[in-house]
Amino acid sequence: MSQFLQPTILLLREGTDTSQGRAQIVSNINAVQAVADVVKSTLGPRGMDKMIQTGPKVTISNDGATILNLLEVVHPAARVLVDIAKSQDDEVGDGTTSTTLLAAELLKEAKPFIEEGIHPQIVIQGYRKALELALEKLEGFSINISKDSKESKRDTLIKCAQTALNSKLLANTKQFFSELVVSAVEKLDPNILDRDLIGIKNVTGGNITDSFLVDGVAFKKTFSYAGFEQQPKRFENPKICLLNLELELKSEKENAEIRIEKPEEYQSIVDAEWALIYEKLEIIVKAGAQIVLSKLPIGDLATQYFADRNIFCAGRVAQEDLLRVQKATGGQVQTTVNGLNPETFGTCGLFEEVQVGAERYNLFKNCPQSRTATIVLRGGAEQFIQEAERSLNDAIMIVRRCFKANKIVAGGGAIELEISRFLRHYARSVTGKTQYIVNSFAKALEVIPRTIAENAGLNSIEIMNKLRQKHAQGGEEGRWYGVDINGASGVCDTHQSFVWEPTLVKRNALCSATEAACAILSIDETVKNPKSDQDTKMKPKGQPGRPPMGMRR
Amino acid sequence: MSLAFDDYGRPYIILRDQGQKKRMKGLEAYKSNILAAKAVANTLSSSLGPKGMDKMLVSPDGDVSVTNDGATIVEKMEIQHPTAKLLVELSQSQDAEIGDGTTGVVVLAGKLLEQALTLLDKGIHPLKISDGFDRACDVAIKHLETISEEIDIQANEHEALIQAACTALGSKVVSKRKRELGKIAVTAVLDVADLARRDVNLDLIKIQTKTGGSVEDTRLISGILIDKDMSHPQMPKEVNDAKICLLTCPFEPPKPKTKHNINISSAEDYKKLYQQEQQYFIDMVNLVKASGANIALCQWGFDDEANHLLLQNELPAVRWVSGTDVELIAMATGARIIPRFQEITPEKLGKAGCVKEVQFGTSNERMLVIENCQCTKAVTILIRGGSQMIVDEAKRSIHDAICVIRNLIKDNRIVYGGGSAELACAIQVLQYADEVSSVEQYAIRSFADALEGIPCCLADNCGLNPITSVAQAKSRQLKENNPRIGIDCMELGTTDMKEQRIYETLSSKKQQIQLATQVVKMILKIDDVIAPDDY
Repeated sequence: MSQFLQPTILLLREGTDTSQGRAQIVSNINAVQAVADVVKSTLGPRGMDKMIQTGPKVTISNDGATILNLLEVVHPAARVLVDIAKSQDDEVGDGTTSTTLLAAELLKEAKPFIEEGIHPQIVIQGYRKALELALEKLEGFSINISKDSKESKRDTLIKCAQTALNSKLLANTKQFFSELVVSAVEKLDPNILDRDLIGIKNVTGGNITDSFLVDGVAFKKTFSYAGFEQQPKRFENPKICLLNLELELKSEKENAEIRIEKPEEYQSIVDAEWALIYEKLEIIVKAGAQIVLSKLPIGDLATQYFADRNIFCAGRVAQEDLLRVQKATGGQVQTTVNGLNPETFGTCGLFEEVQVGAERYNLFKNCPQSRTATIVLRGGAEQFIQEAERSLNDAIMIVRRCFKANKIVAGGGAIELEISRFLRHYARSVTGKTQYIVNSFAKALEVIPRTIAENAGLNSIEIMNKLRQKHAQGGEEGRWYGVDINGASGVCDTHQSFVWEPTLVKRNALCSATEAACAILSIDETVKNPKSDQDTKMKPKGQPGRPPMGMRR
Repeated sequence: MSLAFDDYGRPYIILRDQGQKKRMKGLEAYKSNILAAKAVANTLSSSLGPKGMDKMLVSPDGDVSVTNDGATIVEKMEIQHPTAKLLVELSQSQDAEIGDGTTGVVVLAGKLLEQALTLLDKGIHPLKISDGFDRACDVAIKHLETISEEIDIQANEHEALIQAACTALGSKVVSKRKRELGKIAVTAVLDVADLARRDVNLDLIKIQTKTGGSVEDTRLISGILIDKDMSHPQMPKEVNDAKICLLTCPFEPPKPKTKHNINISSAEDYKKLYQQEQQYFIDMVNLVKASGANIALCQWGFDDEANHLLLQNELPAVRWVSGTDVELIAMATGARIIPRFQEITPEKLGKAGCVKEVQFGTSNERMLVIENCQCTKAVTILIRGGSQMIVDEAKRSIHDAICVIRNLIKDNRIVYGGGSAELACAIQVLQYADEVSSVEQYAIRSFADALEGIPCCLADNCGLNPITSVAQAKSRQLKENNPRIGIDCMELGTTDMKEQRIYETLSSKKQQIQLATQVVKMILKIDDVIAPDDY
């Protein structure tokens, strides 16, 4: 053969790992499975938590996106899973675990086809077709709540929030928190629903049910100078002046230099500096402000000046807090005090400094145009509160989405099974290979109810049979049957037991899972460059079990 | 972490540094977590109660501290294990919220975990256990509220508050002097309390320590103690009817903040400059003097020139007073903090009955006491004691006592100590358990057992037979329907804690049970631990 005569052509750098062909697809699928297995046990109301230690930091979480992020996945194909979980998190905030699982299951179902030699593109086409149908059906099945009265809509939102909290640490207090979350979201401007305007503050200590909602703003006492304690700490209907201005005795310009000819002039310079700051303070006081907040420091001089005049002040207020105060009180942040007029002042019903745990908090309550809310979270351990915050975040996102989209479906695996039933039915009407593929898609959807049942320690095979039977009856009757983790039979109408989720979550989960699966299926070659030498030296132990170079299949 | 292999036997690298990560799953994870947390709880259990023992802790720098305070012990143990750290935070969060009962909360969590372990061995799903614990916790809290009693904090010269403080101090090294210290703590808190708002700002109570003397010498100064002395040794050591001038500007020629240069071109100018400077000093002292002040406290320093002038003008002064002290003095004496000399007016001066320098023992250390202030809203507790360790421990103990009193002012309901409240709850929870038909029944029953663990532990630490004494107390509680029967730790001959007057705040007990349950639930929910392999 001619290859004996040809010299070897070095195309890639030495140590580059390339793998290609069908085996590559299979190997990628396996990697994805391994990652999905890690998050599998967190799904559903009986899902467990993961404890991940990275350096000195320990995170305990049930949130799929958080876990995947902390795992530090390096496998290129498996990273796709991390990315879809993240995108689900950014887009809808909840359902990250189910998205990951669904993508992995779709790939698992595709594996036999690839091994048997069906071209990946056919599988991809089949999946895309199935997705299209599934989404269509999802819309058809979803229940519109926009026409409902205000009370029943609120009720629906609470139900959705509860479903989101079901699998979290807060499950036992979900009633309490779902109401908290819904009240918080209702405070927002219904047209924009800006998530940033709901603040979550963590204070360790206390019981979790000591958490409370402030219909306004709350933030931790800022660093204060001597004299602060002499200021009044409680106001009713105060005038709040918001500044982005440093109130401190300081040089007006950096690097400015003054040349003084005569010693007498010295005093005038000193006086001038004092006059500058006093002038600012005087304007604020004259304008009638009772509370002065600034993003920049308020020095000891100003603190004492205000204390003398019964004015409360806080400097170095965090940007987001100041923004929320602005929204809540209707004030405007001023960058200068020149021309300060009382119209730019905000107001609230009650301002108070209170002790929360070991911290002192400034609360602005009963704001007139409250378009913002703050949740103060309490709890035993730092990790506990952090996880609680993540859970609430999920719930807030869900409620927000639901508020906007107005469409819900029943959870507990019910909607997945219903779509699955429909797709199976549809598959029979197609000719060609697509029939198999659509069928696999339908089968993959069942992973959600199955995993929920497994995690709850139920017999998943038995449950699945019961559910399939219910759904096969068709029509309204069996449509919303899903996994019931409490009852004896293991199945129930989840629509009636109020396990509700916004359609949007499911829609996004289906789309991104299918997209991810298709993306991985269409990769047939990976070229991986070797790590740079420096990096290898630093981690001599790294990557054990790696096959020697050149061991190609 | 175990590796994944593909169909060709080729291993994957999925995670970064996969080989160096350890993963524990399922039952193995639960057990290792529980054992680690239990180890912490076991360390603390011998510190519980009036006869609890102290721990000696040596820091990496060789500093030794001896303490009985749960939060301090676990903090200084520098625990590495992630689950055990949860218990540390648990204790600290009790400390932050309540200030007292930091040992009890960890011991209770340990007992709950111990019970959970046996339940896991029976094959009960961990979430069922945590559900059960949660329900039991609710029952216990409700029962606590029914057996709690409201006390009148005003009656009989705040006797109830003193008793509660004594209970908190009872387990500490200073227990010998608990009555005296309790009184000090109560007076201190009442002095600064805002009874109308039921709020106490603990920042206003300053606790100052000084080694030397004995614990009996600890006293309350209805004013402020600062660790400073007069700027010049010849200044008077005592000023009666002090009019205090609080300054936040140095006794120095003023400096503009803007960068400046003085160019002197002739000797004349130089002299002028010198005169100007002198003039500043004289003006400053005169301004202070003119306002009628007879003592000046300055946040900054002043040079010898000024010091000398002050002495000549018989104006005692103190330099480098810290910002927080300045604030406290301002609050106590009704002074206004003055940022520059031109603004000194007689109205801005603070008034105090007496400002004097006191010397301790034979050492050369001196402190400044400001007493009989015009509006006493800040107080200082001066703690004395034989050694640094004792003083530090006394400080922590008094902090605990102060917290207890504060909590009583916020919420004046109490329960009785000596394990009686836990026993009463245990009995109630046990009754409730029988009404539950599902698997949770076992968990609820175990919760009751865990609650009984507290009096057991108390009895054990006091050298009593834990089983006998707990059994006796329990049967008497049931027979007499009296939730106040506990363990007679001090061997006073009665087990009725009302007679022994062992008071604990309801909020502290509630918090203990809730926090412990919460953390146990959290630990039980972890089924997977991924960590670097090297710990």
